[in-house]
Amino acid sequence: MSIAAEPILRAQRLSKRFGGVVAASGVDLAVAPAEFRCIIGPNGAGKSTLFSMLCGIYRPDAGRILLKGEDVTRLPAFRRVRMGLGLTFQTNRAYHLLSVQQNLEIAARAAAAGRDAETEKRFNYAVSLFHFDSEDDRPARELPHHQLQWLEIAMVLAGGPEILLLDEPTAGMSPDETMQTAGVLQHLNETGLTIIVVEHDIAFVRKVAQIVTVLHQGYIFAEGTVSAITAREDVRKIYLGRTQ
Amino acid sequence: MTAAAAGLWRLINGREDIGRTPWFWGPALAVIAVFALLPLEATEFEAYNVAYYLLNVPMALGLSLLWGYSGVLSFGQVAYFGIAGYTYGVVAGNLAPSPWAPVIGSAAGLALAAAVGAVFGYFVFYGRVQAWIIPILTLVFTLLLETFLGQTAGYQWRIGHVQLGGYNGMTGIPSFQLGHLIFSGYAFYYLALVITLVTYFGCRILANAHAGKVLLAIREDVLRTELLGYDIRLHQLGVFVLAAVLAGLSGLLYVQWGNYITPSQLGLVPAALPVIWVAIGGRERLLAVVIATYVLNWINYSLSGAGNEYAPVVMGALLLGVMLFFPRGIIVTLSSGWRPNARKGAAKRDAVFDENGR
Amino acid sequence: MNTVGLIASILYQFGTNAAFLLIAAIGLIVILGMMNIINLAHGELMMMGAYTATIAFHRGVPFPLAIILGFVVVAIFGAILERLVVRRFYGRELGALVVTWGISLIMGQGTLILFGPFMPAIGIPGGSFAIGGYSFSVYWIILMVVSAAIVIALWWVYNRTAFGLMARATMQNPAMALALGVNTDLVYMLTFALGAGLAGASGALLAPTTSIAPLMGQQFVAPAFITVVVGGGANVLAGAVGSSLLLSIVKTPVGLLLGAFLGTVALLLAALIVIRLMPDGISAQLQRLAERRSGL
Repeated sequence: MSIAAEPILRAQRLSKRFGGVVAASGVDLAVAPAEFRCIIGPNGAGKSTLFSMLCGIYRPDAGRILLKGEDVTRLPAFRRVRMGLGLTFQTNRAYHLLSVQQNLEIAARAAAAGRDAETEKRFNYAVSLFHFDSEDDRPARELPHHQLQWLEIAMVLAGGPEILLLDEPTAGMSPDETMQTAGVLQHLNETGLTIIVVEHDIAFVRKVAQIVTVLHQGYIFAEGTVSAITAREDVRKIYLGRTQ
Repeated sequence: MTAAAAGLWRLINGREDIGRTPWFWGPALAVIAVFALLPLEATEFEAYNVAYYLLNVPMALGLSLLWGYSGVLSFGQVAYFGIAGYTYGVVAGNLAPSPWAPVIGSAAGLALAAAVGAVFGYFVFYGRVQAWIIPILTLVFTLLLETFLGQTAGYQWRIGHVQLGGYNGMTGIPSFQLGHLIFSGYAFYYLALVITLVTYFGCRILANAHAGKVLLAIREDVLRTELLGYDIRLHQLGVFVLAAVLAGLSGLLYVQWGNYITPSQLGLVPAALPVIWVAIGGRERLLAVVIATYVLNWINYSLSGAGNEYAPVVMGALLLGVMLFFPRGIIVTLSSGWRPNARKGAAKRDAVFDENGR
Repeated sequence: MNTVGLIASILYQFGTNAAFLLIAAIGLIVILGMMNIINLAHGELMMMGAYTATIAFHRGVPFPLAIILGFVVVAIFGAILERLVVRRFYGRELGALVVTWGISLIMGQGTLILFGPFMPAIGIPGGSFAIGGYSFSVYWIILMVVSAAIVIALWWVYNRTAFGLMARATMQNPAMALALGVNTDLVYMLTFALGAGLAGASGALLAPTTSIAPLMGQQFVAPAFITVVVGGGANVLAGAVGSSLLLSIVKTPVGLLLGAFLGTVALLLAALIVIRLMPDGISAQLQRLAERRSGL
């Protein structure tokens, strides 16, 4: 993790309200290339909204988003994906009613020849994690939940992103599967893929995170290394529901 | 087989339509042969009727791609049927008696259908409207077009020297001809048959190609597909324009079949028909749609002899019954049960349209 | 003198257009707001109300009572439809659209078969009066008042009755309402019946202004649907009123200058533009404004 390098993804003073709810208030974020960042915070802290803004699903009320140095605040979501952003959703959004084969075919938007060697390796690695038969017509939702999650990761990797955003990828997984996922993501990060994960599982965060950002009621409460953050009394307090 | 031919065969024989084994292709080729040899046994009148059952197939295929594969329901495909038909009548009628008038008129008809579809589609898809709005707006559009054409009765309503004709419609529309070959009688039958086959196989190839898979993805989950880097609006616009062109193709065949067209072809009851054929056959499978369109047109024609008023009631009742008891369509439901390793998920799908409210 | 008449005439045109759109669409909007279903049999329900009123009127029933009869008969029919068919399609909007279309085909053609192509008309009651050389129909003034009355009555039902409370709860969060003991099945049925009844009443109200025929419902389809699309389903009353007024502002000048048909075309164009700018319809936009204004 190089502090001096230009951040690959940067958010400046992002704000967003939904009616009476402040989802984000002046959020600043800077993620370095090949960094492994975890975003934690109690429920309702605004983590998914932050992701949605970074990807272009929601327009921020105020603030800027810079992807590889370019201002993408007004750019539609699909253009950001083509610039190298990838997202998996909080609720699994692989195509449940289509077969695994169809899922992967759709995800391979660029022809195989258009993917570079690094992308190809990462994609093949992700696909190797679950077994499938290309002649199998059964809907993808018949896969066990953790494999469905890995399928969605593989689908996003097919597009060759440089940054991967994962919204609670281990939700619903057993501790073993969670640690397996952590290992997978670590491997991908070591190949140079920038990874930002929203997570609740502290064991997972401890294993993989280089920097942790704590979100609380829409603003950045704390930021630092895993050990620094988990040692803080005030961070523990917000998880237990006491503000301040 | 060369690599290209193998690739093409894979596209024709892909998973997105019914029938992939020799058990299918054998009978299918036999059926095509029967149609090809029909004129040997049938009178010209009978062949002309069969041509009528066939000429609606392109429009139905377009709706299947739009609704079944992409999840976009249009109630107004007949508008493009009418636009192409009327345009052909105007252009070919004015350029007559040149032997190339019909070709130019056909091109003009398809071009205008595509253009109108593109403009309409732009407003709808680039506005990212909610799904339920599209059937309404397309229906309203065709109704307005019908009303407009219905009031063009006066002599001043002409383009060149072709009268639009108001509610009585446009008559004396020239038959299709290529150079000095005029397509009437058996020749027209073959024209309709060839166009139907070419259109069907073309759509089948599209459904199996990557573009077809993208349509499925858009139907299943718009957000996920956009976040895989696809410009949803462009794909939706593309299939909408294609469906408009296919509906226009049916319109062209219609006016070349009957040499007339009236505004009522764009009205409420005709607008329902493509939706009925596609829903009854099974909107997700092109072959099901082809069969249903042919059979239902044959039934409709037979009923018209017996008592024209009952045809819409029967159609409406059929539609109701299929929607309640065979939500995936009769032919699709039957064909899914055929295969021993049928999708286990298929049983769950029968119960509901799908979770996305379709 | 003539300017007064001209201004009165323009206001009158505006009012009649708005009243027509509101009356034609209100039944549709009530159902849309609750169940997110566009009832494509709406035109035929209006026709049914018109036929009921016409038949009753020609048997000696006073016209106002005939209208109420139209409401009641079609409401009951709507409740039956909902029970038997429509409720299987909740959550499946496009399926509901297709099914109601099938119903509309059956109703339209069935009426043609049962009653034949013609039915004696009802003359417009009330006569007309003149201001400065322009003539105004008393009945249309009455319709303007009636449309306002319908809106007020619906407002009262939704905001001041127990049913209205349960209906709004079900609209916002059906699962929660069910968990709190609201009989959502009953709410859906009553709402559909209400929407159908309103369609029937609308058909009866508009019957004197047009000829009575089995396919008469079709003339209301385009304007009603456009009104609903522009209004959206977020807030039934705001959508109905806002949409009718907005579309009337578009239709009145175009209709006066270029004729009635182009007026309707202008409606479609206005709808396309509105949905380009406000994809959720006017009512959603108004709701957002209201939320912002209440300082949330």
